[in-house]
Amino acid sequence: MYKEPSRVHTISIFTTALDQLRGCVLRMSSLAQLNLKNSIKGLLERDDDWCNNCIADDEEIDLLEMQIDHEGIEVMSRFQPVASDLREVVSSIKIGANIERVADQAVNIARRARKLNEQPQLPELHLLDRAIRLSLTMFDDAVRAFAERNAALAVELKSRDKELDLLNKELTDILINRMQDDSANLPSYLNLIFISRCLERIGDHACNIAEDIVFAVSAEDIRHPAKQ
Amino acid sequence: MPNEASQHPLELTNDFSPGEMNFIKVDNFKFFYGKKEALHGINLEIPSRKVTAFIGPSGCGKSTLLRNFNRMNELIPGVRHEGDITIHGTSIYDPSVEIIALRRRIGMVFQKSNPFPMSIYENIVYPLRIAGQNTRSVLDETVERCLRSAALWDEVKDRLHDSALGLSGGQMQRLCIARAVASRPEILLMDEPCSALDPIATAKVEELIIELKKDFTIVIVTHNMQQASRVSELTAFFYLGNLVEFDNTRKIFTNPSMKQTEEYITGRFG
Amino acid sequence: MKSPTAQSAKNFFSAEGKATSVFRLFRNHFLTGLCIALSLLTLVPLFSIVVLVIQNGFPLLSANLFTQLPPAPGMDGGGFGNAILGTLVMVGISLAFSVPLGILAAIFVNEYAPVSWLAAAVRFVAKLLTGIPSIICGVFAFAAVVLTTHKFSALAGGIALAILILPTILLTAEQALLGVPYAFREASFGVGATPFQTIWRIVLPEAMPAIMTGVMLAVARAAGETAPVLFTALFSQNWIKGIMEPTASLSVLIYNFASLPYAYHIKLAWSASLVLVALVTVSNILAQVIFAPKHR
Repeated sequence: MYKEPSRVHTISIFTTALDQLRGCVLRMSSLAQLNLKNSIKGLLERDDDWCNNCIADDEEIDLLEMQIDHEGIEVMSRFQPVASDLREVVSSIKIGANIERVADQAVNIARRARKLNEQPQLPELHLLDRAIRLSLTMFDDAVRAFAERNAALAVELKSRDKELDLLNKELTDILINRMQDDSANLPSYLNLIFISRCLERIGDHACNIAEDIVFAVSAEDIRHPAKQ
Repeated sequence: MPNEASQHPLELTNDFSPGEMNFIKVDNFKFFYGKKEALHGINLEIPSRKVTAFIGPSGCGKSTLLRNFNRMNELIPGVRHEGDITIHGTSIYDPSVEIIALRRRIGMVFQKSNPFPMSIYENIVYPLRIAGQNTRSVLDETVERCLRSAALWDEVKDRLHDSALGLSGGQMQRLCIARAVASRPEILLMDEPCSALDPIATAKVEELIIELKKDFTIVIVTHNMQQASRVSELTAFFYLGNLVEFDNTRKIFTNPSMKQTEEYITGRFG
Repeated sequence: MKSPTAQSAKNFFSAEGKATSVFRLFRNHFLTGLCIALSLLTLVPLFSIVVLVIQNGFPLLSANLFTQLPPAPGMDGGGFGNAILGTLVMVGISLAFSVPLGILAAIFVNEYAPVSWLAAAVRFVAKLLTGIPSIICGVFAFAAVVLTTHKFSALAGGIALAILILPTILLTAEQALLGVPYAFREASFGVGATPFQTIWRIVLPEAMPAIMTGVMLAVARAAGETAPVLFTALFSQNWIKGIMEPTASLSVLIYNFASLPYAYHIKLAWSASLVLVALVTVSNILAQVIFAPKHR
């Protein structure tokens, strides 16, 4: 159902403005990807430098979110976009907000990782591997789907969220049991639980981004489908 | 179908149900200026008491189709048509329909306002006078009703007998709208009514259109897509003599079905 | 690159240079002056005529001129009331024929069937006839009216004049109708008026000032023509008794009296010229005033 606008706008500055807005979102998303990878690296390799990088670079992402909002509003007031253009602008603004939340979650992970790194390493850290891989690939796919305007990928992405939710729940249960047995490392177990939570939230935001991509591309609203 | 022997087919009272879907029905309609085919097989159903907008680039046939509804195109020599246009079930080309009667049931407002070189009063009562109505009280009542409908009464009620040509551009166009509704037509055809007006006058006319649709079926041709999206409930997109898409205005401007429509409204044409 | 402040004569606008603008300015002034001079020049003949006619015609001007008959050759006194009446009657007859015919034909040509072969033919013939020599109109009326009725008459004179002015009235009426914006007709048809109603209520009233101007031009021409009336209405020393009688007219009277060797008659001829000019001017002004456009 997607109909790629085959040509540029007659008013070329309109096309330029839309491209610029898109470029902002892409830049923001790759920064967020990097920050997320850094925070995970800092967690898994127990290296505070990576965590600090992630926390420091978050400021740029916040600025980009504001820039996207301003540019989006400017495009709307200046050019009165309709149809696909309008959907693209509105989606870009919403995706910007979601990427900013993802980056915030990466910062949370980094902070918790720093705390964990002060304590001896827990073997339970590796229980998180699958969740980490899943949430990272979900976010990466969301970014790719936006870059490629790939609605199919976005829809498929949404189906993985259930698995991530389940993983988070399982992990939380296991870690709560562990806490009862090994109360000396209680803080570390708590941090792991919070990190798992962050990963689950990242998955949710990736889903939101997917929903906005689908709306921009095909005008379908796949949020809140009828309960089965 | 109100076709009693005592009633002329097109002399209707306003008693059809609002929202009647096929009030104006265009049936495989083709139109020719001499050898040139300007409209290719248009199929369209315009509902009553709603505003329908015709949009499309220059020369796409939207004004041509509009002017066929009241057979104004027949003033041009050498034209012919195929197919049919029916209004409330009666073909406008039916031999029993007088063009004069047809035009009295349909009001038309043109792009460049064209009040007669007479007083404001005489402009509005002209449609009544040509129909033989000269009773002073009826004329007075009509003038007030029409000027109120056109949101012009307060501005001109003290100078009804001044020349209409002394009004501002926006006032003249509203006067033309008042004149168009004088003989209580059911349908109002507007051919780019705001294109010669400044933004404030345009806004007043648009507000007027939104008010008038309670009583009239309105078809408006416009180049201004924001205007179409503001005032109309349905929009028809024409291109090169073809009807490309006809749908709710909201759908056309958020997610049109046809690629050509999308390209036109997002400004990717040409 | 000289700095802008170094040269005081140069400014932003003097990049053109002096030579070209001086020439262009001079040429502009010269041509403007030429146009004004030539326009004034065109007024000279008109004013000369008026001044001359007033100078020579004024002395004998009195009420007698309008009420009395011409004196016999060699005599004094009298006037040319019959000639004035005769001119008025014949112009009236010519208007009675040509105005309805001309205006209705113009309405047909412009409103009802503008692209038909008939309209094209009418326009073509009208344009041809504007150049018809006035004596031919007289000859035609002679053959058509005088020979068939076996008398010289005012009617024949009137018909001759009618043929003369009909093309003018038709063409100026058509121009007047063309001058009415199409938008008015379109608006009128849009509210369901018939072509007749549109013409009668909108087009004709709007075109009337211009049509009347055309008619007045025709009147001026008709009043002053000599050749067509010369051998159709002939001349008469008496008041006109009926349209089937020959009648005097101002133009023929001027022609006759100016060639007589009597000074008094020559003076009468001048006065007749003055009356003729005055008549034409007054009717022109009246037409402009009565039929002036009201809504401007």
